[in-house]
Amino acid sequence: MLLDVTNLTVSYDKAVLLNNISMHVDEGELVSMVGPNGAGKSTLLRTISGLVAWEKEITRRSTQGDIIIKGSVIFNGERMDQIPANEIVKKGLIHCPERRRPFREMTVLDNLMAGAYLMKDKIQTQENLDQVYQLFPVLHGRSKQISGTLSGGEQQMLAVGRALMSTPKLLCIDEPSTGLAPMMRDEVFKKIMEIKKLGITILLVEQEVKMVFTMTTRNYVLSSGKIIAEGTGDQLLQDEIIRKTYLGL
Amino acid sequence: MILLDIFITGLISGSTYALLAIGFSIIFGAARIVNLAHTAFYMVASYCIYLVSTKMGIHPGWGMIMAVILVTLLGTIAYQIVINPIREHHGAVLIATIALAMAFQEIMTLIFKSSYLSVPALIKGFVPILGVKVFYQQILTFGAAFVVMGGLWILLMETRAGLAIRATAQDREVANLMGINESRIAMLATAISVGLAGFAGAIVVPLTVINPRMWEHPLIMMMAVVVLGGLGSLKGSFVGAYILGFAESLVVFLIPAGAFLKGSVALSIMILVLLIRPDGLFGVSFEEER
Ligand SMILES: Nc1ncnc2c1ncn2[C@@H]1O[C@H](COP(=O)(O)OP(=O)(O)OP(=O)(O)O)[C@@H](O)[C@H]1O
Ligand SMILES: [Mg+2]
Repeated sequence: MLLDVTNLTVSYDKAVLLNNISMHVDEGELVSMVGPNGAGKSTLLRTISGLVAWEKEITRRSTQGDIIIKGSVIFNGERMDQIPANEIVKKGLIHCPERRRPFREMTVLDNLMAGAYLMKDKIQTQENLDQVYQLFPVLHGRSKQISGTLSGGEQQMLAVGRALMSTPKLLCIDEPSTGLAPMMRDEVFKKIMEIKKLGITILLVEQEVKMVFTMTTRNYVLSSGKIIAEGTGDQLLQDEIIRKTYLGL
Repeated sequence: MILLDIFITGLISGSTYALLAIGFSIIFGAARIVNLAHTAFYMVASYCIYLVSTKMGIHPGWGMIMAVILVTLLGTIAYQIVINPIREHHGAVLIATIALAMAFQEIMTLIFKSSYLSVPALIKGFVPILGVKVFYQQILTFGAAFVVMGGLWILLMETRAGLAIRATAQDREVANLMGINESRIAMLATAISVGLAGFAGAIVVPLTVINPRMWEHPLIMMMAVVVLGGLGSLKGSFVGAYILGFAESLVVFLIPAGAFLKGSVALSIMILVLLIRPDGLFGVSFEEER
C-alpha cells in the first residue's frame, strides 16, 4: 500500500469534519474520492498533506480555535501525520489544492520552479520541466506570462505541472475540473490519464462522477465525513441508493 | 531654482521612504507581521552610526556597516523573542511592535538624552547645478538607495530564497505544500526587512538630525506609502514612496511654514486613497487561507 489512512478523525472546534476514515491507495492506482459538497473531501486531502496539522498549529498559536486530529496517515511505510507539511513533499506525496491556487503574481516558469523547490538534482529538475512542458505545451509557450492572467484551464494545467515538478510518487488532486468548460474538462481528465501512464499514482477528488468512474481503478464515496461506499465505478453505479442519494445520478 | 530643490529633496525622502516601505512590505508579505517598530530600527541604526563615528572617532563608513549588521541582529533577536511566539495573533503583534519601538525610544533617550545630534557627511562638498547646491552626500544617499533596491530586486527575482519569499508572500499554504519552510522564510524576511531599515538609517543619517523620536514621522509616511501603493506590493511601495516624497517636498517648499504640514500630507493622502481606491495603486490580493 502506498497510502494508508487508518481511523482518521478530524474535528474543528466541535464540528467533526472527518469521522473515523480508513482508506488506502495502492501503487499504480488511480483512486477517486467523490461525494457531495461539504462531505470532507478537501479536508481529507488537506489532512494527508499536513495542511490541517499546520493549520492546527496556527490556530493554537492564535488561540482562535481547536483542531483535533486522530488516527494515522502512512505513506510509503512512513507516518506522515508526525512530520510538518513542508517536509511531506520530500517523501514523494504532493497535494494539488482546490481552486488551483497558482502563485498569481509569479510567472509560469517561477511557479514551476517553486514546485521544484526541494529538488537538489538540477538535471532531474530540467527533466521534470521538459516532461511538464511536453505534457502541457501551453505552459511552454507561456512560460514568461504572469500566471494570474492565464485562463482557468491553463491555471489548472499549471497547478498540476507545478505539482509534478517535485517528482511525486503520489499526486493528490482536488477538483481539477471545477469551473472549466466541458472541452477543457475533458482535456484535463485526458492529462490525468497520461500522468497515470507515467507511473504516478493518483488520488483524485472530483464532482464529475460519471466521467471519473470510467478512468479509475477504485472509488470511495464520502458523505458527511464518513466513507459510505467503496468499489469500482460499475459496482457503485449499480447500487441504486448510492447512485441516487450520494452521487445525484 | 526652487524646482530643483524640491526635486532633490523629494528624491532623497522618496528613496528613504522607498527603502523603509519595501522592508515593511516584505515582512508583512512573507511573515504576515505588521511591524510598527520598523522605523525604530532605522532610528537605532542612526544612533549606532553616531556612536561609532562621533564618540569613538571611527570613520562613519564603518559605522554604517556596523549599524546595518547590528540592527539586523537586533531585529532577528527581537523577532525570535518578542514577535515569533505571537506571530499568528495579529492584534498582539501590533501592540508588541509598538511597545518595542517605544522601548527603543526610551533606551536611546536614557543613553543619549533627547537632544538633537548629527553625523558628518561621508563626502564633504557640493556641486552647483543650476545655481542649487547639490551636496555629494545627497547624491551618495540617493545612489546607495538605488543600488540596494536593485540588489534586493535581484535577490527576490533571481535566487531560490527570493522565490521562496515571493511564494510565501502570495500563498503561505501552497508554499508549505511546495516544501518551503514558512517559518524559516518569515525569519529570513525579517532579517532582510530590518536590514533595509538599518540601511535606510545609515544612508540618511548625515542628512538629518538624530533624535529618539525620529522614528515617528517616517512611520506615518511609510504607512501612507504602503496604503497608497497597495499593501503587500513592492512595486507599489516603490512608486508610492516617491509620490509621497515629492508631495511632501512640494508642501514644505511651496507653502509658508509647510514643514509643519509634513505629517498632514501623509494622512490626507492616506484618507484620499482609502476613499477612492482602497486597494491602493498596485493592490495585491492575498490568497485567503483555505
Ligand atoms: N476551517 C473550518 N472550520 C470549520 N469547518 C470547516 C472548515 N473548513 C471546512 N469546514 C467544513 O467542513 C466540511 C467539509 O469541508 P470540505 O471542504 O472538506 O468539503 P468538500 O467535500 O471538499 O466540499 P466541496 O465539494 O464543496 O469542495 C464543510 O461542512 C465545511 O463547511
Ligand atoms: Mg473541496
